[in-house]
Amino acid sequence: MRIELENISKRFGDFHALNEINLSIPSGGLTALLGPSGSGKTTLLRVIAGLENPESGRILFDGEDTTASDVRERRVGFVFQHYALFRHMTVFENVSFGLRVRPREERPSKKEILERVNDLLHLLQLENFSDRYPVQLSGGQRQRVALARALAVEPQVMLLDEPFGALDAKIRLELRRWLRRLHDKINLTTVFVTHDQEEALEVADVIVITNEGRIEQVGTPEQVYEAPANPFVMDFLGHVNLFRGRVHSGLAYLEGIELPAPEHHAAEDVPAVGYVRPHDLVLERKATGSGSIRARVERTQVVGSVARVSLTINGNHETIEAELTRDLFLKLALVKGEIVYVRPRNVRVFADDEI
Amino acid sequence: METVAPPAISARELTRRNTLSEPAMVRWLLTGVALLFLGLFLFLPLLAVFGQALEKGFSAYLAAIKEPDSLAAIRLTLLVAAISVPLNLIFGVAAGWAVTKFRFPGKNLLVTLIDLPFSVSPVVSGLIYVLVFGLQGWLGPWLYNHNIKIIFAVPGIILATIFVTFPFVARELIALMQAQGSDEEEAAMVLGANGFQIFWRVTFPNIRWGIIYGVILCNARAMGEFGAVSVVSGHIRGLTNTIPLHVEILYNEYNFAAAFAVASLLALLALVTLAVKSIVEWKMRSPRPAGRSAQCASS
Repeated sequence: MRIELENISKRFGDFHALNEINLSIPSGGLTALLGPSGSGKTTLLRVIAGLENPESGRILFDGEDTTASDVRERRVGFVFQHYALFRHMTVFENVSFGLRVRPREERPSKKEILERVNDLLHLLQLENFSDRYPVQLSGGQRQRVALARALAVEPQVMLLDEPFGALDAKIRLELRRWLRRLHDKINLTTVFVTHDQEEALEVADVIVITNEGRIEQVGTPEQVYEAPANPFVMDFLGHVNLFRGRVHSGLAYLEGIELPAPEHHAAEDVPAVGYVRPHDLVLERKATGSGSIRARVERTQVVGSVARVSLTINGNHETIEAELTRDLFLKLALVKGEIVYVRPRNVRVFADDEI
Repeated sequence: METVAPPAISARELTRRNTLSEPAMVRWLLTGVALLFLGLFLFLPLLAVFGQALEKGFSAYLAAIKEPDSLAAIRLTLLVAAISVPLNLIFGVAAGWAVTKFRFPGKNLLVTLIDLPFSVSPVVSGLIYVLVFGLQGWLGPWLYNHNIKIIFAVPGIILATIFVTFPFVARELIALMQAQGSDEEEAAMVLGANGFQIFWRVTFPNIRWGIIYGVILCNARAMGEFGAVSVVSGHIRGLTNTIPLHVEILYNEYNFAAAFAVASLLALLALVTLAVKSIVEWKMRSPRPAGRSAQCASS
């Protein structure tokens, strides 16, 4: 189901949690709401669910205005950050809850409930835990129960608030891949909130980046990573190095090098900053034309398959970080204190007024 | 590494032992003082109550309780508790629900007001009602004209009891429900449950033991309240005397055996309350809920 948000605003006292949000969430996709804490992403999710009422704006489910409809009528599945399982009910009772509370005429028979819940427990690999209480389950199992409970009512949309936030690193990794597979299997429009960029990049079809109650960028993981709309997105999605300088008629002059910056063709000598990811810094022993910056190796560190090199540029106290493969690093045989030439690739240039 | 680790651990162990356990002397002294204190000020008086009550034999004990004025006092006390405890239960659940599940202006004021009876002397609580409902009070003349008796009558006793027992259920539930948050209620709501279902199937099972805990404490106080009730009761024998007031009258008449016999009822109530309280505390601590069959059957 397609979800559209039009001019949604929400305040808590003086705090603008959401500021004129416009967003279209595609049907059947897995969408991530990504942003730092306090950026409004959870509020946005709760507004979609109907757990919070926006002060202004409209919410459309498949083109139909649902702004005024009650949370019970929206048929959404919601997985809470801390799962919010009913602690006095068994796994089976938790999962069947949504079916058991239906009015008599809509309620499936006992047998149907049993079948549907068992199917879900099977799908989520929980068959053996049906009689357990939440306290007797691990974090990952609780999370799957929360998912099963939300799926039991056959929601039109699935909303997950920091689904992996309360789990430890290893289980997190497994569960997010599993969530992706589950989504591919049942193809339900799903929106999840996360503050972990890696999680969003790995799992989502579409990433919505939020900041201070606004949406900074919407795009596929490739789009937001490769073509960030602004410095915030660039900075939020992984490490960046900053090169200061100026732009003038489509050319950027940063730290003594010259780069094409066609998007700034109309700029007339304005201050600008170039953003480069660590893996887009190529280290060479010899300078190649005007595209290289002379730098000094300050520190080297090999972590698994990658090597990180900290460098300082002449007369500049800020260190920059380069990342290269372990093999290349060993071939270059860099030693602390040596002079190398840094050639930045894929530089994103933003004029100062965009920052 | 391995050679470094063990000393580090044992050093930590050592500091822990130093901070957490005192020399045997100090331990015995502290425990002894606590036990002596409890024995002198709590256990001995309790024994004395039963000792005095049974001083003239069991038949005298029974006779003192079966005396018509004593029976009237027992009946009145039970009536007062039977009315004030359920009312405070309803109020307590409503207050707990309102304070923890909703945002509204004046919430902090409400929480503070709930605590008021704890901070005010019971005598003052009684006087408040005399001021409001008494013959010289604000509503006195109107009540008199309509022939409604509140002060020096049963309604006044009930009102005063409700006032002093006000915080017991509410405070217990507010603390419990605040600790639990409203996540489960929200989850139930998203799953389509209506307000009634949310309360009975999600909220109530979680606060059940808290309610019982509050109710037994509330009941103990309702039956044992002296100060506030004394002010509004008028001490009319056989009519407006509750158990505590009756005990005082008997005592003032130097009828010690009878006074202690009736008092022993309250002491027994205290023992029962303590026993139930311990069971409930134990239940509240155990992670797995017991007796959920009732909840299942309702579905």
